[in-house]
Amino acid sequence: MTSQKQIAILGAGPGGYVAAIRAAQLGARVTVIESHALGGVCLNWGCIPSKALLSVVELGDKVKKAADRGLLVQGPVMYDLARMVARKNTVVATLVKGIATLFKAWNIEHVQGTGSLRDRQTVTVAAADGTPRDIQADAIVIATGSSWPNLPQFPIDGQQLLTSQHLLDLDCIPASLLIVGAGVEGCEFAALYSGLGTQVTIVELMAHVLPLEDDDISSTMERELKKRGVTVVTGTTVERLERSPMAITAHLKDGTQVATEKLLVSVGRGLNSRGIGLEQVGVQTGRRGEILVNERMETTVPGIYAIGDVVGTVMLAHVASAQGKVAVENIMGHQATVRYDIIPAGIFTLPEIGRVGVTEQQARERVQAAGQNPDQALTVGRFRYAGLGKAQATGDTTGLFKVIAESPSGRILGVHIVGAHAADLVHEAAMAMQVGATVGQMAEMIHAHPTLSEGMMEAAEDVEGKAIHQARKKMS
Amino acid sequence: MIPTDLRYHQEHEWVRVSGAQATVGISYFAQDALGDIVFIDMPKPGAVVKVGQQIGEVESTKTTSTIYTPVSGTIAKINADLKDHPEVVNSDPYGKGWMVVIDLSSASDVDKLMTAAQYVAFLAGQKH
Repeated sequence: MTSQKQIAILGAGPGGYVAAIRAAQLGARVTVIESHALGGVCLNWGCIPSKALLSVVELGDKVKKAADRGLLVQGPVMYDLARMVARKNTVVATLVKGIATLFKAWNIEHVQGTGSLRDRQTVTVAAADGTPRDIQADAIVIATGSSWPNLPQFPIDGQQLLTSQHLLDLDCIPASLLIVGAGVEGCEFAALYSGLGTQVTIVELMAHVLPLEDDDISSTMERELKKRGVTVVTGTTVERLERSPMAITAHLKDGTQVATEKLLVSVGRGLNSRGIGLEQVGVQTGRRGEILVNERMETTVPGIYAIGDVVGTVMLAHVASAQGKVAVENIMGHQATVRYDIIPAGIFTLPEIGRVGVTEQQARERVQAAGQNPDQALTVGRFRYAGLGKAQATGDTTGLFKVIAESPSGRILGVHIVGAHAADLVHEAAMAMQVGATVGQMAEMIHAHPTLSEGMMEAAEDVEGKAIHQARKKMS
Repeated sequence: MIPTDLRYHQEHEWVRVSGAQATVGISYFAQDALGDIVFIDMPKPGAVVKVGQQIGEVESTKTTSTIYTPVSGTIAKINADLKDHPEVVNSDPYGKGWMVVIDLSSASDVDKLMTAAQYVAFLAGQKH
């Protein structure tokens, strides 16, 4: 007689809940321990809520330009943030309920509380009322995620000094907002609040906003932020804060000052690897507190796996989900690994960004490190949204497609898109890379007209200088 | 169409000199090639710039194009009206559509720029 495998999962974010369902599909009996809401940060305080709010500003942006296109709307565009937040909460509640329904369908038990490892096969859960409960398991998956860091120079108080979590639940629009850090989150919130009418200043230590993105993308985004009225300050950081009950004055290292009503701290995330009993069972962590795992997502202790932000590889919801599936597939006797070279990602600024693979800078560095001349070993194709009939028709003319390919093989190394629907559009390129298609094959494939996807084809054609709707001549 | 009192750069910027200052904009040809202008990214006043350096960008519904400075010096003033009304560059490129005023560091920069007649010939040459 074979007994059903028992799996305990710590955390029900996009890593943990996906792992739970896949494990149940494969025949395991699964218990998920989560102290907060199902769906984790992504669903409750991250990806989904910010997109719900941004979608309203995107609509408002369109309405503001409606008269030019012949749509007459009475009165100015006004935002009711409290109603936006209420609607966002409904969206989140629907999705959280969806996970609960799936759990029920797969007979997955959700234990409310904070779990910690007692030994290799036992998780102790402290419920809200303090009563402990032991859960036995054949294998354990740690998916405890990450959290907002508490930096001594920025003591978060939820009133003036905020995290992105607070900014998702404000009930009135602040007059001014200073954002420290122009990474993904900082830029998304700059787009959101500048759209709502807040005077936004964004400060970034590196030379450009979105410093990890391709140069063409970050320079476009910098221009887009300025276009929205955001004051962009790069190459410096906040040295100290002066606070009064009504305002904060930030003194920047470059000697300037910014007075603001609210301040968003948007620099890095802390890994949730403490207080969960790792030492108790001997699970090793790295310098940043990341749990060390092998390619099967197994920790240094056999039978204990870790996935998602807490392993600190690529901190994205969809990577956590992929790692979760791989971990439980291995637990259930299959062989699985995560392929990290092709991870599409979206940045939900206005307009959006979609990316997969390496940036041009990274590609050049790699080629140089291999002793080759980047100007010969790499080719780059670009195409602007403005050249697309569909973009002209819908008024989404801002943005560009960029393809980086290996020469002469035509292997696609990276694709970067900024513009309307970029995060959706990038998946064609990701699939091409996944199956090893060349840039020539991408260019050859018939793309439907009129669509934004034609931009992908034209950028692929431009790698060989063959884009149809692009003049060769440099203009002014 | 091409004012004779201005000097022109091969990247289609124009310069109007008044004392030790130069006002800079883009030519009728440039704005016509760009189409409807939707945004102009300008340098910061106080910035020190050198001939041929990128000082800003013009975005239109067709493309994005770099603004190069035809002279060296310090940015004294930018046309703040263009922030909300970039389309003025289309309607009045040599007047209200001016972009920046530069305190010249070397007056001789201007002598190297094209005269109106030379710019007309230059444009004729570009049409091929």
